[in-house]
Amino acid sequence: MTATTASSVPASQQSRVTPMRVAKVVVLLALLIGIPPLVDSPFITRVFISALMLGTIAAIYDLMIGYAGLINFGYAGFLAVGAYGSALASFHYGISPWAGLLIGGVLTGAVGFVAGIITLRLKGLYVALMTFFTGEAIRYTISNTPDFTRGMQGLSTAPFTDILGLDFARENLLNYYFLLLVLAGIIMGLLAWLVNSRIGLAFKALREDQLATQSLGLNTTKYKLYNFTIASFLAGIMGAYYAHYIGILSPTRHEFGVPRTVEILTITYVGGRGSLWGALFAGFLLIGFQEYFRGLGPWRLVLFGSLLIFVMLFARRGLAGLKKYVW
Amino acid sequence: MDYSMLLEPGILAQVLSQGLVRGSMYALMASGLSLIFGIMGVKNFAHGELFMLGTYVMFFALAVLGLPFPLGILLAAVVLFFVGMGIERTLIETLRKRAGRDWLLDAFVLTIGMMVVLQNLAQIVFGSDRRGVTGLIEGTFVSGSIVISYERIMIVCVAALVGVLLWAFLAFTNFGKAIRATSQDPDAAQTLGIDIARIYTLTFGIGAALAGLAGALLISIYPAYPTVGFQPVIKSIACVILGGLGYVPGAIVAALLLGVIEAYSVFFMASGWQNVLTAGLVVLILIFRPAGLFNSAKVERA
Amino acid sequence: MPLEVRNIVAGYTKEVPILRDVDLTAQDGLVTVILGPNGAGKSTLLKTIYGYIRPQEGEVRHDGTSLAGYKPKDMLREGIAYLIQGHSIFPRMTVSENLELGAWIMRDDRQRMAEAFEEVYERFPRLKEKRTEPAGVLSGGERRMLEIARLTMTRPKTLLLDEPSVGLMPRLVDSIYEEIEKLKAARYTILMVDQNVKKSIEIADYVYSLQLGQNAHEGEKHAFEQRLNEIVKEWI
Repeated sequence: MTATTASSVPASQQSRVTPMRVAKVVVLLALLIGIPPLVDSPFITRVFISALMLGTIAAIYDLMIGYAGLINFGYAGFLAVGAYGSALASFHYGISPWAGLLIGGVLTGAVGFVAGIITLRLKGLYVALMTFFTGEAIRYTISNTPDFTRGMQGLSTAPFTDILGLDFARENLLNYYFLLLVLAGIIMGLLAWLVNSRIGLAFKALREDQLATQSLGLNTTKYKLYNFTIASFLAGIMGAYYAHYIGILSPTRHEFGVPRTVEILTITYVGGRGSLWGALFAGFLLIGFQEYFRGLGPWRLVLFGSLLIFVMLFARRGLAGLKKYVW
Repeated sequence: MDYSMLLEPGILAQVLSQGLVRGSMYALMASGLSLIFGIMGVKNFAHGELFMLGTYVMFFALAVLGLPFPLGILLAAVVLFFVGMGIERTLIETLRKRAGRDWLLDAFVLTIGMMVVLQNLAQIVFGSDRRGVTGLIEGTFVSGSIVISYERIMIVCVAALVGVLLWAFLAFTNFGKAIRATSQDPDAAQTLGIDIARIYTLTFGIGAALAGLAGALLISIYPAYPTVGFQPVIKSIACVILGGLGYVPGAIVAALLLGVIEAYSVFFMASGWQNVLTAGLVVLILIFRPAGLFNSAKVERA
Repeated sequence: MPLEVRNIVAGYTKEVPILRDVDLTAQDGLVTVILGPNGAGKSTLLKTIYGYIRPQEGEVRHDGTSLAGYKPKDMLREGIAYLIQGHSIFPRMTVSENLELGAWIMRDDRQRMAEAFEEVYERFPRLKEKRTEPAGVLSGGERRMLEIARLTMTRPKTLLLDEPSVGLMPRLVDSIYEEIEKLKAARYTILMVDQNVKKSIEIADYVYSLQLGQNAHEGEKHAFEQRLNEIVKEWI
């Protein structure tokens, strides 16, 4: 695993709060918050939603792969748990989508916990394979129980119910975007805090060398489980959001299978492993770029795959490698 | 249901032959995968796409060029051999040079990227229609209640032949020995003047050829379409794991077993659940015997 | 012509060179031993000579040829063989296959290979006995014998021995050194690094000692033997 971007710059300089930096952050936030309402185009808003959503999902993914070195190759299946969990809760039991967010998170967190247990004693690539099977098993199960999940026919999901006087009918895309901003803000904040805490340190140790870590008295099991569970919980929330935003779910490969996981993985890698914000930037870059060339069909995935290969070979730090030029 | 039905010779023959056919395919794929992993340490997620390319070459050879099917199979193997070597030379070797110590983890992701690109390029170039042929050989073998198509017999025989050739290659030829040496101790092999880089390229080429051959051989069951490689590769990976990573004979045995188990499972569950069964099996075995069913001498190389 | 190492600066990373201006010569047909405390760079030096590490400065010449840019796989053809530290046999291949691989670079020359096998089996009857057994079942001492036998299949000019006696019981250490004596008698040029200071000096013709990646002392065996106590004290 490549080191994080912090390697070449002294720590003090890294987190210094300079006027320039504050200004940069303010500008970015302003763009993030301001563009969709100002431009007022459903297309642009959708793009922003997709970008922010996938960027956040990728940042969560980075918690697993960039910080702890755990490759989850069934990630899309995890998202499916969150999505279907919430959708089915509202479909069959009339539970509000707001509660669904939490339900999705908890269910997925449980799945993450179990996955953590299964992969307890395993290393790197075994973890990837096990999680892959887990994810696929989830997808197949959803597919093959149409009586409950509507399988391939598609499960339509309820939009978010009105809250605080805000109307979440599907046309009100801006409200969905702002909701997402809030969610993403909370999640990113949580991730940033986590990563800089002692737990985050333990995660990084996991990534480096499990054997050495254990010899330092660190309980790798505990932290692996923490990592999987927390990341899955957060992913589940995003999955639930996705369900109620997108309106219809079906367990196809492109939605919740390998292509989706690859998409997210690519965003994470392009953003730079070990860089949460990199994932967000990459999300906007890749999704925005892709939306611009809409109707690409399979070219989209060719692009993603090629980008992944390119990053692996030639730009191993991803966008985060450019950080020292602009930050 | 009546379980004694399963032991009836007619049914038994059908199921066994079908199982062996499947098993043969898995075995060809799994041995390539296992070889690549055993020698290079690379888990090639793009192996299914190599299979897919094999099906297209075969289809092209048969339907467009009108070649007799043995030539088609040979062509697929040869083409994929060079494709494999090309991939190794350009992508994998580059990664190895640039990524340093942990290149294997990244190699895995690299092959994922390759898989996606190949699959979708195929989609673009060939479209998603399934291109198949009805059958490579006509006729069935009948003896009493046992009815087996000649094609199935042919497939199993060819696969077995390839297996024997592979074994002979590794056991007796110079390059085969060099390959084995490299897998057991690459540093020592280097001090004996063996060019590791060339060995890797050769190994990847062989693995790819095996996959291409599998694709060609089973064209009448698995027609050519962009995502045809997905299923075979998952199952093959399962076989490689079950057989013990890097242990080719183990992978082959696991493959044959899996093929037969799957053939039988048709009686007990809908085909959609077969995959869950396989996945469940792999998960279980990994939990209890991470080194695989056949405890190979090789320690897990994650 | 000898193996010459001149002004070598080398290490695993650029910022931390382990070898800082090392100089030595291994004369033809003689045993040259490198001593030094742990971390002095002895193994690193051998690895650098053999092309595993590219030196930042300096050069290595063998028999008049510069080895700059040579990779490990090119070395045997150049006439330099390397006995790796620790185990290096191929455990799942037979003894005879191991030896056959030792002759990999002359695999096309049937005649020479047959001769090499004959010679090796004569020198090592034990190996001949066990030639169809997988190398993994050999005992520690036998494995080391196999490694040495394999080393000399192509009759290289120079042998680099990296800790040949490490991990062996005292009795086996003696037999290994007997083998090295025989190699010395057969006029191989030997450059050796070993933990066993006493025995290596005994067998040496010329000794170098390294400290912190630099030349410390050097001299003919006799001179060294006398100063041995002083030198070892320095290490501690």
